Amino acid sequence: MSSRRSSSRSRQSSGAPTSAGMTDAQITDLVSKLQQLIPQLRSRHSDKVSAAKVLQETCSYIKSLHREVDDLSDRLSELLANTDSNSAQAAIIRSLLM
Amino acid sequence: MASPQPIINTPETSTTNPQTTSLPDSDSNPNKRRKIAHASPAHAEFLNHINWTSQSEQQIYSANLLRTLRQVLRRNPSPSTTPSKSRQVRYAADRVLAAAAKGRTCWSRAILSSPPPFNLRRLHRHKKAPDAKKKVTGLRSLRNGTEKRKLPAVQRKARVLSLLVPGCRKVSFPNLLEEATDYISALEMQVRAMTALAELLSGGDSPSGLAAESLS
Repeated sequence: MSSRRSSSRSRQSSGAPTSAGMTDAQITDLVSKLQQLIPQLRSRHSDKVSAAKVLQETCSYIKSLHREVDDLSDRLSELLANTDSNSAQAAIIRSLLM
Repeated sequence: MASPQPIINTPETSTTNPQTTSLPDSDSNPNKRRKIAHASPAHAEFLNHINWTSQSEQQIYSANLLRTLRQVLRRNPSPSTTPSKSRQVRYAADRVLAAAAKGRTCWSRAILSSPPPFNLRRLHRHKKAPDAKKKVTGLRSLRNGTEKRKLPAVQRKARVLSLLVPGCRKVSFPNLLEEATDYISALEMQVRAMTALAELLSGGDSPSGLAAESLS
């Protein structure tokens, strides 16, 4: 009765490339969609880029995004600590955002 | 008291159009997924996902993030138990981002259900688990000999990817690709929004400079 989404999705415990539910064409389609997102691989033609390369670039891209978010949160924590007492500036920011 | 005609309670769509996407009880998502799965699971999943590139999505995220951060940083608990401010900001930013996904993706649900960052001592306790795993892989390499020491490249990288995307360790490969796609778009939006916020806060040099001087 309580079939969770995670249990209905994960048919295999490890991240094996071939799963019983999906066809290879769909997997290739997903890989190409992923490739379009990654800035380093966007210009290259999909014929030349292997799945392993796409996965590798995806991993490094996610890591770099994580690092960027960490740097930004460093910056924001300093900035917000300074301007926390300044309610006027916060009002300006709110008006600009909405 | 049983109803006189219980069969009529079933909706008409189930008998006429078994492949329709609009079910009356849209809350039962597993049923919806099963019926759509016959058509095109990948495209149906994408329709449910948020458009992370839209300007409104970014504005909503920025507003929510700012509100949450001001709440978070206003609290002043004891410094020994709480992590650094940067980590608190990162944690809040991730949670607001996961909330924006509205529970449709595995990574967002994993972020929202993970506990808040705590003292460093607790992190050291968890480090014992990877040592146990290392022993197992050592035994495996001895058994297999020299031929299959490593998994195929795609599987190895898929495993690394599953560790990077939160909550996706035991997800099938196609779903992992979908989750990664959505996660990357969401992260990009997070970076754009936080960059814009940082620019706003540091761009007004004179007011922030005056505020800093008045504090010191």
